[in-house]
Amino acid sequence: MSTSTTASPNEAKLWGGGKSPFNLEYGKVMMWYFLMSDAFTFGAFLISYGTVRFSTNGWPDSNQVFRSFPFAPEGVHAPLVFVSIMTFILIVSSVTMVLAVHAGHNMDKKGVVRNMILTIIGGIAFLSCQAWEWNHLFHEGAWWGANPFLNADGTASSTNFTNFFFTITGFHGFHVFSGVLINIIMLIMTLLDKFEQRGHYLMIEKAGLYWHFVDLVWVFVFTIFYLL
Amino acid sequence: MSHEAALHNHEGHGHDDHGHHEHHDTFLTKYVFSQDHKMIAKQFLITGMVWAVLGGLMSVLFRLQLGYPDASFPWLESILGKWAKGGQITPEAYYALVTTHGTVLVFFVLTAGLSGTFANFLIPLQVGARDMASPFMNMLSYWFFFIASIIMLSSMFVETGPFSGGWTAYPPLSALHDASPGSKTGMDLWIISMALFVVSSLLGGLNYITTILNMRTKGMSMTRLPLTIWALFFTAVLGVLSFPVLLSGLILLIFDRNFGTSFYLSDIYVNGVGALSNEGGSAILYQHLFWFLGHPEVYIILLPAMGMVSEIISVNSRKPIFGYMAMLGSLFAIAILAFLVWAHHMFVTGLNPFLGSVFVLLTLLIAIPSGIKVFNWLTTLWRGNIRFTPGMLFAIGFVSLFISGGLTGIWLGNAALDIYLHDSYFVVAHFHIVMGVASMFGMFAGVYHWFPKMYGRYLNNSLGYIHFWITIAGAYMIFWPMHYQGLAGMPRRYFDFSIWESFKQFAELNRFISTVAMIVFATQILFLINFFYSIFKGRKVTVLNPWESNTLEWTTPINPGHGNWPGEIPEVHRWPYDYGKDGHEFIPQTTPVGEDESGTH
Amino acid sequence: MSHPHNADANHEANNAAVMAEIKKVTILLSVLTIVELILGFWMIGISSAALRLAIKGVIIILMMSKAFYIVAYFMHLKHEVKNLIMTIIVPLSLFVWFIGAFLWDGSSFKNLRNTYNPYFKEQSTIKVEKKESEHGAATHGAEKHEAVKHEAGAGEAKQKPADEKYY
Repeated sequence: MSTSTTASPNEAKLWGGGKSPFNLEYGKVMMWYFLMSDAFTFGAFLISYGTVRFSTNGWPDSNQVFRSFPFAPEGVHAPLVFVSIMTFILIVSSVTMVLAVHAGHNMDKKGVVRNMILTIIGGIAFLSCQAWEWNHLFHEGAWWGANPFLNADGTASSTNFTNFFFTITGFHGFHVFSGVLINIIMLIMTLLDKFEQRGHYLMIEKAGLYWHFVDLVWVFVFTIFYLL
Repeated sequence: MSHEAALHNHEGHGHDDHGHHEHHDTFLTKYVFSQDHKMIAKQFLITGMVWAVLGGLMSVLFRLQLGYPDASFPWLESILGKWAKGGQITPEAYYALVTTHGTVLVFFVLTAGLSGTFANFLIPLQVGARDMASPFMNMLSYWFFFIASIIMLSSMFVETGPFSGGWTAYPPLSALHDASPGSKTGMDLWIISMALFVVSSLLGGLNYITTILNMRTKGMSMTRLPLTIWALFFTAVLGVLSFPVLLSGLILLIFDRNFGTSFYLSDIYVNGVGALSNEGGSAILYQHLFWFLGHPEVYIILLPAMGMVSEIISVNSRKPIFGYMAMLGSLFAIAILAFLVWAHHMFVTGLNPFLGSVFVLLTLLIAIPSGIKVFNWLTTLWRGNIRFTPGMLFAIGFVSLFISGGLTGIWLGNAALDIYLHDSYFVVAHFHIVMGVASMFGMFAGVYHWFPKMYGRYLNNSLGYIHFWITIAGAYMIFWPMHYQGLAGMPRRYFDFSIWESFKQFAELNRFISTVAMIVFATQILFLINFFYSIFKGRKVTVLNPWESNTLEWTTPINPGHGNWPGEIPEVHRWPYDYGKDGHEFIPQTTPVGEDESGTH
Repeated sequence: MSHPHNADANHEANNAAVMAEIKKVTILLSVLTIVELILGFWMIGISSAALRLAIKGVIIILMMSKAFYIVAYFMHLKHEVKNLIMTIIVPLSLFVWFIGAFLWDGSSFKNLRNTYNPYFKEQSTIKVEKKESEHGAATHGAEKHEAVKHEAGAGEAKQKPADEKYY
């Protein structure tokens, strides 16, 4: 190839056209930029939360709000415990997803199926935990437009604490839900040998990217709502 | 291994899937649910034109009110019914018209109609690809836009009218159902329509980016891309990163409207009703979120026009574009700065003045890349062997308008001046010239220039010249006087100025502006006639490369089928601006570099 | 691709390396989360604002490093072509000003309200009776606020009008 560019030969080879400069097929590139876009959606939500919190004098103490636990006896307060379980569920499901992707690299159908099932179970477990927590908070009187909790300093709190909590965790939960759906579709396609026929498990990789992104968002949501 | 298999698949992508299958196409798959990027581009263009006519008509109607506030036009009542009782537009209808005019022109015409059309049409043709990376998503992108259009259109027919709180949809007007008639169903439909539009632009934008990165033909390195492609690339990046923020803002708005939250509402006291229960929210938050999209949106509108103008000016000056790398760098700088300056729309909203001063600094920095671009266009024209085709005239018109409107941007970018000029006709004049009319000129330039490629026929030149001269003269006659009105303090978005003693002096001028606006609108009808007549009856294109241009789209057949090139995709050997080099009039990108050729740029 | 796939032996070694990496990152993420939680528990008993702020700063750093490990290893970004990494990092850096400007203006809005809106200021100093039973009847925030507002002497009816027009 006779090029007149001054870039290094390696660079010219990558960017010279006729191939992907990232060595990635278009779907994966697209998935990456879709996730960038989604990062701005979540970013806008979380930054809005921060902005309102910064423009308000008092704010509820998350340890006073999120301190319940399923089946815990009356009066037992365990701040952070339940949410840490949720966090670990999501991390573990992320790990099984990585293992599924890795098995896909090795064209190991059995490994893919096993790890996809584990990932789906993790996702459903997370959603169940979230459903329990929402239900519990609802019965405490918290909902969009209703905030039973007081600020940390004992003053009345605006409804924005619950407004943002339900909106953002809801939006994240929606992402987990669609992630589970995508994973189920991927599992079915694997079982139907679709990827064996194609000769690659790239679809699993793309679903994996999405799933890790959902996990990534939870890292931020978890820290911002429950720890800060 | 696995990955390589997929990668090799993609090289022939489009070709294998879609090449040479026209004979299987039914009417439905060829013209309606088409996955051919050229057809999707035409769908975007024609939908955009429908919206442009509607949006333009709205401006004629409210200019009628501003120019003739005392007159009554009985025919208006027969068109608009209760919105023009007694032949005079009601204030509610006036605000609805202004709002819908803004929304439609900004999003549907100048975003979907402009970058939707030309990104779809030019990206695969100019980078040398059979089609977009994902033709199916491309089709979805159009149909999401179409549904968004239908919903926006239907909002005009609900009983309480379309949304009437301004295209920016600031709360509380947009958040409280009872704030105005348009804040009821009209606003709900507005939000739904915009949300679908965000989906459309996301699907489109991801496709544009991926196609430009992944699907370039052999030899088409990034620095051999025509500037159109670079501009469309940055446009897509801006859209993909900024529209989601609007989506978040709108989701919070939906909760405020329907689920009792107060994200944007606080301390609202209404006479006769008392205080509302909303508290703790911040209306400024919405404005931040909106303008975090809104400012990049300005560049989403402008950049495609800039890119096409660069290409058209170079082709028709028969000279290489001056400062290709500087053009690239300034596009990149504009794309970055677009995200850093949003709050200059908010200097008078209670924004922290110190924060405001940072935004002033960042805003004024935009003058640098803008200046680079302007000087590069002028130096490209300098001593060129200029062919004044209608496309070229509109491109030059774009440069003229961009300079005129850009200079007033330097005024408005200063917080101290903006506090005086904000929400006045000065602002109206500024953004209409620099963004609205200038981008329309870019769009016209693109349509005149690429019409032969789109339809295999030419537009009528004489009609094109009439169209150009009336439009450019009209644009200046409409918007230039508005600067003086704004400096005199005339506020925008007012229904009737005749009741203020201080603005009575402008009655005559308002009538003049309105008259010119109607003439210019009529001229656009002339363009439409030219457009649709020429599709069917225009002079046929008989040569492959009518403008003697270097770029790849002119190496395709006159009426390219799905897949664009009948044989192999040509390989690219040089940048696209070798005009007047070594005694050659032009050297297409597909020509190999000769032995004794002088060095490239 | 970053993985050499040619020889089988190579493949086996590579396989082991990948598994080791997954294991390492899993442990790292768990440890980081546990440290976060420990800090969170520790913070419950601390009332010094400065120290709380410092702990929060540490937690944010830990959060960012968790994000880094997920993106770099689980999402495989670290092993991608450098240019792809740049196209992710450069747009993400827009968040710096996105966050900075929003929060700056948020806190400025608080100062403005505290300065010019005495009702806002007053409201945030009145303590409210704390509920005895946590799992008792649902208490709606709005009702509570109403009580506060009456104390503060605002006096207006706080109900949102049902269908009245007030424009």
